[in-house]
Amino acid sequence: MDSASLTSLAANFGAGIAIGLGAIGAAIGEGHTAAQASPAISRNPQMAGEVFKTMLVGQAIAESASIFALVVALVLLFTNLPVSSYLTACAFLGASLSMGFGAIGSGVGSGFPAGATCHGLVRQPAMANKLTTNMLIGSAVCQTPSIFSLVIAFILMFGDYSAAAPAPLWAALIGAGVSTGLSAIGAGLGGGLVAQSCCEGIARQPRAAGALTNSMLLGQAITQTTAIYGLLIGFILLFKHHPETNSIAAAMALLSAGICMGIGGIGPGIGEGFTAQGAVKWIARNSEGIGEITRSMLVGMAVAESTGIYSMVIALVLIFVV
Amino acid sequence: MGNLGEVHQLILSLAGWKMVFNLDSIVMSWIVIAVLLTFGTLAVRKRDVIPHRLQVVGELIVGSLYQLTEDAMDKEKAEKYGPLVVALFLFLTLSNWLGIIPHLDEPTKDLNTPLALGIMGFVIAHFVGIRSKGWKAYLGEYFQPFIIMMPLNIIGELAKIVSISFRLFGNIMGGAIIILVVSHLTFSVVLPPFLNAFFGLFVGTIQAFVFTMLTIVYISVQTN
Repeated sequence: MDSASLTSLAANFGAGIAIGLGAIGAAIGEGHTAAQASPAISRNPQMAGEVFKTMLVGQAIAESASIFALVVALVLLFTNLPVSSYLTACAFLGASLSMGFGAIGSGVGSGFPAGATCHGLVRQPAMANKLTTNMLIGSAVCQTPSIFSLVIAFILMFGDYSAAAPAPLWAALIGAGVSTGLSAIGAGLGGGLVAQSCCEGIARQPRAAGALTNSMLLGQAITQTTAIYGLLIGFILLFKHHPETNSIAAAMALLSAGICMGIGGIGPGIGEGFTAQGAVKWIARNSEGIGEITRSMLVGMAVAESTGIYSMVIALVLIFVV
Repeated sequence: MGNLGEVHQLILSLAGWKMVFNLDSIVMSWIVIAVLLTFGTLAVRKRDVIPHRLQVVGELIVGSLYQLTEDAMDKEKAEKYGPLVVALFLFLTLSNWLGIIPHLDEPTKDLNTPLALGIMGFVIAHFVGIRSKGWKAYLGEYFQPFIIMMPLNIIGELAKIVSISFRLFGNIMGGAIIILVVSHLTFSVVLPPFLNAFFGLFVGTIQAFVFTMLTIVYISVQTN
């Protein structure tokens, strides 16, 4: 098969993968939000209009990760991208894996704060504005991992590979996509958990709203750390010069560096999300203890992250030593 | 869409070393600095008990950021690091907003800017840590809980620079890419202003705040 037809094959296949995987998360998140709206309305039917509006806004934000995946799929299908060699086909595959996996976590995650906001509205109608603002901030930060995936996907799609030797770069291109995409799952989900408990907390303890939003942002930022390691490994795989070799072992080392960092990044993201969720929740219950709770949260997250650092070390060894 | 990732560079050779200057980032950073200096000068001019408008804005920004610093450290340290925090936040916010003006670019879209600021925060935090704890206690922390954990602890510390700077860079770069691609796909009809408002103003402010807060936390973790 010549490289032009192989590339269009990869573009069609990749478009399907990107939006197929990318549709999973947002749908789950939106369903969760809608499910939370029903009990909220049932508790206080007078607030139905307000809850309905918030539900729709929350769902719209949860959908943005899927829209990124849709954009990648459309670009793959309808844009005439430069074709250099069969490396372009691998780059398309990597791009679609990156965006497809990367949209899952953020989609599910940003459904959580929207659901909690629906409950919060009927519990504390006076805080409606604060709650909606907090939901918007929390959901926007949840999208960060999927934005990382989008960056890698676009760099992969618009890259020029005409001067490069095919082996082992093909493995690096797919590995970069897998690393960024998979590691974004945990971070997106975890960030959503943190934002959820923050929205609950503001409804429970309106006076602590400012402190809660700050703690939420801190928790979400640290939850994203492993997704950033995934992005870093992706960048190294893309921009490091890989010496030409036909050995399949060298190519496999690059591919498995991506897989290692990608899968290794999922767990710490979710785990750190739990840690920060608990911290934010209990700061809302007792805002006097904010200093101690934050300190123990930071230490707990650092420990939960250590397995992500192990994965990064192994990925770096695979890239630079093996 | 071809101009994605295109940078104007000035390359100087000095004694065998090649020095690369990203002219766009330098010019844009200086625009931000000029705007901030103008704002600062105007805000403190003709200070009065009954403040004029700009003074109110200035006092509001400085006051709330000092409060934020105080929440993380004690009062005495907050006085000391407050100016750093205010400067960092204002510089980053304005940098992230700059992209909404046509023909101007965010300096933070260039990885070098966030990386430099991240390294700055890291060095300050560790310098403060050594000064307040002493060399012995500072180095001892790397051998916790076991002596063999030392390399991983060091990597964990260095990874903080990576995480803080790539988070900002990825968000701003991603926003810029989305705006560019979606504008291209929709022939720049209707959508671009909303995208600019969301990614430039909203996400830009949040990310500047996150960066500032992480720097505060890194410093306060080292001092406690």
